[in-house]
Amino acid sequence: MKAKDIAKKNQVGKNSILKEKSIVSLDSLSLTMDTVYKIHSVRNLTDTTYILRFDRNNMQFEAGQHITLGVQGDNQTREYSIYSTEKDPFLEVLIKEVDHGMVSKRLKKLSKGDVLNVDGPFGFFTIGSFPAPGKKYLFIATGTGIAPFHSIAGSHNSLDYRILHGVRYSEEAYEKEFFPNNRYILCTSRDSTGDFTGRVTDYVRKNPVDSDTLVYLCGNCDMIYEVYDVLISQGLRSDKIRTEVYF
Amino acid sequence: MKKKVAFKTLGCRLNQFETDALVTDFYKGGYEIVDFAETADIYVINTCTVTNQSDHKSKNTINQSVKKNSDSLVVVTGCMANNQKEYLENREDITYVIENTKKSSIYSLVDAHLNGEILHPADLSQNLFNFSVVEKGFHTRSMIKIQDGCDNFCTFCIVPKVRGRATSRPVNDILENIRKVIDLGYKEIVLTGVNISRYTFDNLNFENLVEKILDLPGDFRVRISSIEPEGFGEKLISLFEHPKLTPHLHLCLQSGSDKILLQMRRMYNLQTYMEIIKKIKLKYPLFNFTTDIIVGFPGETEEDFLQTVSVAKQIGFSHIHTFKYSVRNGTRAARMPEQVPAKIKSERSEIIRTLAEENKLAYRESLIGKTQRVLVEKVTSKGMAKGYGEHYVPVEFKGSSDFKNTFNNILLTDIRSGKEPVLTGKIL
Repeated sequence: MKAKDIAKKNQVGKNSILKEKSIVSLDSLSLTMDTVYKIHSVRNLTDTTYILRFDRNNMQFEAGQHITLGVQGDNQTREYSIYSTEKDPFLEVLIKEVDHGMVSKRLKKLSKGDVLNVDGPFGFFTIGSFPAPGKKYLFIATGTGIAPFHSIAGSHNSLDYRILHGVRYSEEAYEKEFFPNNRYILCTSRDSTGDFTGRVTDYVRKNPVDSDTLVYLCGNCDMIYEVYDVLISQGLRSDKIRTEVYF
Repeated sequence: MKKKVAFKTLGCRLNQFETDALVTDFYKGGYEIVDFAETADIYVINTCTVTNQSDHKSKNTINQSVKKNSDSLVVVTGCMANNQKEYLENREDITYVIENTKKSSIYSLVDAHLNGEILHPADLSQNLFNFSVVEKGFHTRSMIKIQDGCDNFCTFCIVPKVRGRATSRPVNDILENIRKVIDLGYKEIVLTGVNISRYTFDNLNFENLVEKILDLPGDFRVRISSIEPEGFGEKLISLFEHPKLTPHLHLCLQSGSDKILLQMRRMYNLQTYMEIIKKIKLKYPLFNFTTDIIVGFPGETEEDFLQTVSVAKQIGFSHIHTFKYSVRNGTRAARMPEQVPAKIKSERSEIIRTLAEENKLAYRESLIGKTQRVLVEKVTSKGMAKGYGEHYVPVEFKGSSDFKNTFNNILLTDIRSGKEPVLTGKIL
């Protein structure tokens, strides 16, 4: 409730004394206590995909979690997985511009020093919430669903993992050099320049997954739905599969 | 002359608990608690915003209070106070709009106001768990708040935005609270929160907490209220062997279609859910399952819906709280295509409602010939004691007024059908 509202209510017959001084000082205090997230850079990867780097402000997060992000002063926010690692002094998110999107297009137009509205971290798509020392991990992503795995792989150096990245064209293999060659498999569905031509679902069908593997799926709903069924048909137990849906 | 205060609660058990705690504050402060239908000096409306219908009901309730006494002090709190704060603050007829985090301070605010001092809501302390031990509530069961907020961000749900991040109440506070209500004479404890399955405090999870509560001395029983099918370990299932833990769960399903569960961003799929049900039923065949189902979620096809119907039949939920999906601005689902027309939502809702009634009758009939330990809530002037058995089924039997708030072993002999079928029986 703002000071003017209290005053308004005071005027309409609720007989009381207004402590205006304390209200004003509290309002000022709340402004200074807000954490400010300033943009460091916008790094374009393709015409429609970019990485936003901004202040971390000591935010403690687990690789695989997400945050909500928007332009300061705008009440529209969207959820993005954290792309940077737990060790980085900054935060990064991987964003694909959405046709008619209200947030992704606006964020791309921002520049160094602009301020973001950030909340989080949120979510349970982490290694820590599903610990299995010594186990093999298979990460399966489509498109920008690679983001949480970028964070996980960079935060847990000793992890025994392979990553399957499904895109349409190989130019969408966002910063694939980050992952060691022997761990990264690019599946391209619209050209034959990837390690595998076809969708990730096709790859998993042709290359059955060991039943003791822990599988993390991140991407669109249809991919998760289909791959999940394939994995179950190959004998994987459902408690060995974790999912994060992107819309 | 005592000031009269009236309360109205909309929505969840957590709101009910919080209202009960506020009632206690005002009662102990010398105020007269009156029915909401009466003219009062103060109206406290604890709102809900989970659906459009909830918003509508909340607004209607506020309007009712203003109509009854235009000079009254009107306090609006609850989730709508968070979600539509600006709208509510701009209404001339509402005196205070208090967010959830400051709800426990409403008594201080009102009492100060009536003594000629306005406290700015910003001055109120923020504490999600600083509610009084309920001594004077509207319920015979004592609800105990163990947790608040949610981090799951289901795509249909506004709750994380209005209740905030998941926060767990310290274990010792919970145990102390329960000891006090048992001393006050309460015999049933209902654990409440926004997402209690995510309880965690000092490396203790939900099942560890329940175990500690069950170890407390005293003649009482514990009911787990609405819970999400996540974090469900074998230990929790085993805890139902304890005579103090009632064999009933309101286990939220929402949909029987994996495709829709994914779109809802639920933390489980149908297989996981069914495994929990199977394990529990195998061990406790009469276990009572109730649930929430959302019909008409964006993209829900006839096939998806029929899967939900099939699952609901198979499990035999004895009660289904059916929600027609409604758009909540600020949630992901609000921006999803393929919104389902209202007419189809209503048709699907009616199918679930009919099924739920059939299930309810069938479940209660299956208990005839069995015994229930009934906690009597009231005794009518005609000498009928009414209460609930441990399986959360309503039971009536002949009894006198001194039966109130006592446990009685009742052999169930018959059922009185109707919209709410009631089991009848006799004392063993």
